[in-house]
Amino acid sequence: MSRNDSKYFSTTKKGEIPELKEELNSQYKDKRKDAVKKVIAAMTVGKDVSSLFTDVVNCMQTENLELKKLVYLYLINYAKSQPDLAILAVNTFVKDSQDPNPLIRALAVRTMGCIRVDKITEYLCDPLQRCLKDDDPYVRKTAAICVAKLYDINAELVEDRGFLDSLKDLISDNNPMVVANAVAALAEIQDNSSRPIFELTSTTLTKLLTALNECTEWGQVFILDALSRYKAADAREAENIVERVTPRLQHANCAVVLSSVKMILQQMELITSTDVVRNLCKKMAPPLVTLLSAEPEIQYVALRNINLIVQRRPTILAHEIKVFFCKYNDPIYVKMEKLEIMIKLASDRNIDQVLLEFKEYATEVDVDFVRKAVRAIGRCAIKLERAAERCISVLLELIKIKVNYVVQEAIIVIKDIFRRYPNTYESIIATLCENLDTLDEPEAKASMIWIIGEYAERIDNADELLESFLENFPEEPAQVQLQLLTATVKLFLKKPTEGPQQMIQVVLNNATAETDNPDLRDRAYIYWRLLSTDPEAAKDVVLAEKPVITDDSNQLDPSLLDELLVNIATLSSVYHKPPDAFVTRTHSLAQKTEDGDYPEGDEIGYSESHANPANGAASPPSSSYSVPASVAPASPPPSALVPDLLGDLMGMDDSVVPLDQTATPAGPALPIVLPASTGQGLQISAQLTRQDGQIFYSMLFENSTQVPLDGFMIQFNKNTFGLAAAGPLQVPQLQPGTSTRTLLPMVLFQNMSQGPPNSLLQVAVKNNQQPMWYFNDKFSFHVLFTEDGKMERSTFLETWRSLPDSNEVSKDFPDIVVGGVDVTLDLLAASNVFFIAKRKNANQDVFYFSAKIPRGTPLLVELTTVVGNPGVKCAIKTPSPEMSAFFFEAIETLLRS
Amino acid sequence: MISQFFVLSQRGDNIVFRDYRGEVQKGSAEIFFRKVKFWEDGDLQEAPPVFNVDGVNYFHVKVVGLLFVATTRVNVSPSLVLELLQRIARVIKDYLGILNEDSLRKNFVLVYELLDEVIDFGYVQTTSTEMLKAYVFNEPLVVDAARLSPLGPGSIFTQGTKRMPGIAVTKSVVATEPGGRRREEIFVDIIEKISITFSSSGYILTSEIDGTIQMKSYLSGNPEIRLALNDDLSIGRSLGAAYGYRSSSGSGTVVLDDCNFHESVRLDSFDIDRTLSLIPPDGEFPVMNYRMTQEFRPPFRINALIEEAGSLKAEVILKISAEFASSVTANTIKLQMPLPKYTSRVSFELEPGAVGQTTDFKEGNKRLEWSLKKIVGGSEHTLRAKLTFAQESHVNLTKESGPVSVTFTIPMYNASRLQVKYLQIAKKSATHEPYRWVRYVTQANSYVARI
Repeated sequence: MSRNDSKYFSTTKKGEIPELKEELNSQYKDKRKDAVKKVIAAMTVGKDVSSLFTDVVNCMQTENLELKKLVYLYLINYAKSQPDLAILAVNTFVKDSQDPNPLIRALAVRTMGCIRVDKITEYLCDPLQRCLKDDDPYVRKTAAICVAKLYDINAELVEDRGFLDSLKDLISDNNPMVVANAVAALAEIQDNSSRPIFELTSTTLTKLLTALNECTEWGQVFILDALSRYKAADAREAENIVERVTPRLQHANCAVVLSSVKMILQQMELITSTDVVRNLCKKMAPPLVTLLSAEPEIQYVALRNINLIVQRRPTILAHEIKVFFCKYNDPIYVKMEKLEIMIKLASDRNIDQVLLEFKEYATEVDVDFVRKAVRAIGRCAIKLERAAERCISVLLELIKIKVNYVVQEAIIVIKDIFRRYPNTYESIIATLCENLDTLDEPEAKASMIWIIGEYAERIDNADELLESFLENFPEEPAQVQLQLLTATVKLFLKKPTEGPQQMIQVVLNNATAETDNPDLRDRAYIYWRLLSTDPEAAKDVVLAEKPVITDDSNQLDPSLLDELLVNIATLSSVYHKPPDAFVTRTHSLAQKTEDGDYPEGDEIGYSESHANPANGAASPPSSSYSVPASVAPASPPPSALVPDLLGDLMGMDDSVVPLDQTATPAGPALPIVLPASTGQGLQISAQLTRQDGQIFYSMLFENSTQVPLDGFMIQFNKNTFGLAAAGPLQVPQLQPGTSTRTLLPMVLFQNMSQGPPNSLLQVAVKNNQQPMWYFNDKFSFHVLFTEDGKMERSTFLETWRSLPDSNEVSKDFPDIVVGGVDVTLDLLAASNVFFIAKRKNANQDVFYFSAKIPRGTPLLVELTTVVGNPGVKCAIKTPSPEMSAFFFEAIETLLRS
Repeated sequence: MISQFFVLSQRGDNIVFRDYRGEVQKGSAEIFFRKVKFWEDGDLQEAPPVFNVDGVNYFHVKVVGLLFVATTRVNVSPSLVLELLQRIARVIKDYLGILNEDSLRKNFVLVYELLDEVIDFGYVQTTSTEMLKAYVFNEPLVVDAARLSPLGPGSIFTQGTKRMPGIAVTKSVVATEPGGRRREEIFVDIIEKISITFSSSGYILTSEIDGTIQMKSYLSGNPEIRLALNDDLSIGRSLGAAYGYRSSSGSGTVVLDDCNFHESVRLDSFDIDRTLSLIPPDGEFPVMNYRMTQEFRPPFRINALIEEAGSLKAEVILKISAEFASSVTANTIKLQMPLPKYTSRVSFELEPGAVGQTTDFKEGNKRLEWSLKKIVGGSEHTLRAKLTFAQESHVNLTKESGPVSVTFTIPMYNASRLQVKYLQIAKKSATHEPYRWVRYVTQANSYVARI
């Protein structure tokens, strides 16, 4: 062939369209073909050639496949804008769908499905029906995809005409390509439908696993991804599935490997045998590492996935840290991901090697990479206590090179190290102070100022140093101003001499009178007031001991991690965001122009997660470390909050802390539900409590094992009231010998059990290091009493009368003594048992109370007793008398307390 | 499932654009290009291969300077899409012989026809050139290879990225030769990329070989092929060897960490006698990919030294020694070394009688470059460079310069010692023996010496 397609792009001086028209109607086949090519060329460069529609369609009736394909291509493009003309093509389409040549039959349905014009769609059904049962697999596989096309245009039509059943039949087709396309089509239809359409039974599973071996590589991915929704019945089935999938790890196609990994990881959750799990981990490691030999684009996807996998199963790649060392020619996006994984895999055993690498990276050319490497050293110091000193000496070495941005980054991480190991490494402050002049970035400046303020008593010339910063106070960014303010107050409290006194006046004046920044002004006023009313209190507040931080800055929240692990080998696992955070296509076309709720510039989740909301705190600036929940739970109950004025001053990171915890930081003693002896050193105490209208599971975790415990998760078995966790359990990594408290918000009526009612909670708690722990917790019914349980007297009487006597149950407590009436009433009211009325009956006092449990069920209570003498009779009337037993337990607890 | 596929030139011109589902706006190519060109996001100055703009997910790979892009709105498998983009590039190259802007434009009708068979409604159907031949009717217009810049023996391998197209052949798999019938031949290339990091004292810190056995067959009648590898080849590293390099380097066994195979490969007798059998599909494809961290003898040793030589002066001595047999010659060797930022001038001193060597000081990024046309096995070359500084150095010079990175190509050499012992074609042509080419080549991936 000597033709040259690019000549079709050349334009003629004469009117182009008339000339093409003429050629399209030429009597010579070759000329017509050339003309169509020219038309398509014009189309691809965006010229409007729709006026030639009729002429092009006329070329459609040809035996020449090449020409036919070109015409079809044209039709797909213009049918939508020329629906009336498109109908001209319908007859040829229908005829083609019955052509003896299978290629033409397939081409006809394929193209008709792409033309989103109702009139065409109507004519599509019959040919499609036929093609789904065609003898030729090429036609069937094309028809399978066409069902998905039709569903996208007109879902009802697909359901009414029974296409779904035909599609399901194709799962049993003898041609694996047909099976793969049927699976892909069904999966898409399922995604866009709320009804169960594509249900995976064990029969389907067997069929698909068999097809897997014969499929093309792409078909394997479709099938594996569809099967990942399958929930195995038990460990044995899971093992069987894994056995069938493992050979796919040897595939040269990275997509097949990753989808297999996803499948195996999911089934592993069910497998109980540790030997099997260990063996699988061993099998997955080499293929995962091999992904890093692929193109850099694929490496990036692999690394983002590995990042998730090592958070759940760190052992898989524990010995492979070397493969994550950066190559000098890796693209920057690969290097950054490798660093992240190196930190995750860093351990006492390999830290020397890792530090050697980081040190090398810190002298490279790329500034952002260098910064991240310096930060990585700091994060290793925070993560590995025994290596902290070595990390610090590397940082000091780097500071000595005096590269400006290295120094600044190092100071920022050293500030975090000081917070992790207070009073340990202050000897290096002198070295840091030598570099004051080079600091020009706000975060580095703020960090240095924080260090000076925090250790003012050990730095002889702290006042001079701070003073040098104060000169430019009004010009500094807010972050630096806030730190300067706090540091000066600290200095003054530690060295209340004349110099600092003057400084503080200057600062307070600047920060109150001369600024527009409300955060700065408010903080300054609070300090001012504290200092002027009670300097001792100021000391307690400002110089309070700060909670130690842990490095969980890049650990994902366990529940998010769970969700992402389910989504391994999807975009979700690359963005580290759940699918609903970025998938905006609920049903195609519906929201084409909608702007996702996805903020631009935040696509890839590089920002260190858990960015701190508080930017005005006295804590080290913009630290991405969080403090353990014992001081400030990461997600405190919404109703129990006060603006954290005090916490702010005390240098806590979170802007809010629960009310009760500032008052009684230790919290009430909780009953032990899992003794350390049972929990292999992990002790859990817990109690269901009610605070401000919400139910919480108040928990205390104590770690007396030898290792840090992390990745805590909790699950509640079905129970009478359907109590379940309202959110993930927020427990940070728990170092040996430490404990942490948390308040887990609970919801009702989530997973209700049938069967006889009881007030037992069956709880399962797991972490990454230990087996799953189960315990039972009998909770007291009164935590369920709602705040709106108080009744008007008249309502009370009415309700009492309206309920049949059979709904009344009573119980005697012969040994309970009601002492003071007022105390008892207050006590009961505090638990939402509200006093209604009291009457005398002979020498006995009769009290009436009302209470309410969620869903509005009222409880009407009558207590009869002789005040001061043992013996209480409790009668209760309620529409749900089966609850009375719980009520008696509860009232007994309350009256005895 | 993808929504659109397009190919953009480096300047952002639309070369190919195919919309499969009509759910992503038409201007996506422009949005994509602008985003990639002016990428700015946190730590990165280079767009990652996957990102999301306004609910549309963009995937891209770079192939010979072209951007192959796909878009989607749903939560697809990103490795599938990225792998697909690479494969589309490979299929087009199989068809066109040469993949570049020119050949794409010349063959746009064929390319669209291919794209319609490769993807239907966003779902990959096949990327096998062999299978596509049954459904694709346009014939390629082969771009005149002679018009391309002359391909030196080394540069033929440099056009790809990591897993290179590799093979020197630029003829189409489907096009008929001008002279009539096609020549019966088959190419098997064992391509290895070495990554190695030497410590400042010359110890090997990390080393790795990524290898591929690539095949490109022009045999008619699809005969079965048998490839025999080293019979003592073993796969899977014992855990003991996982740390450091304690494994015995003296023994002759080749130990691969991991390997994977093309789907056409049958491994029936692989466990017994390490032979692979396959019926090679048309087109270029990797028969086997492998990875090795077993200790091996690095082809080059690098010595780098930087020393102060009076005030505002320093001297750099670079030495490269070839540790392979003298029958082997390495091509296009290039050493690069970042110098201190305040370096203002560099004067070079090559060894006496040096031929085919060039030196350069890149003022912009303060980098020293030393290129050698070839190095014969067993030889050693030295470069001396005198640096002049614009300011006094206040710290250790070694901290502010290096590391030295090296690129090279060594034909007919492989570091892993993995071999194709024989290549057997089951059904021989009656008239004459097909040409069989088994070639080895080793390249540097990340070959670095710290100082």
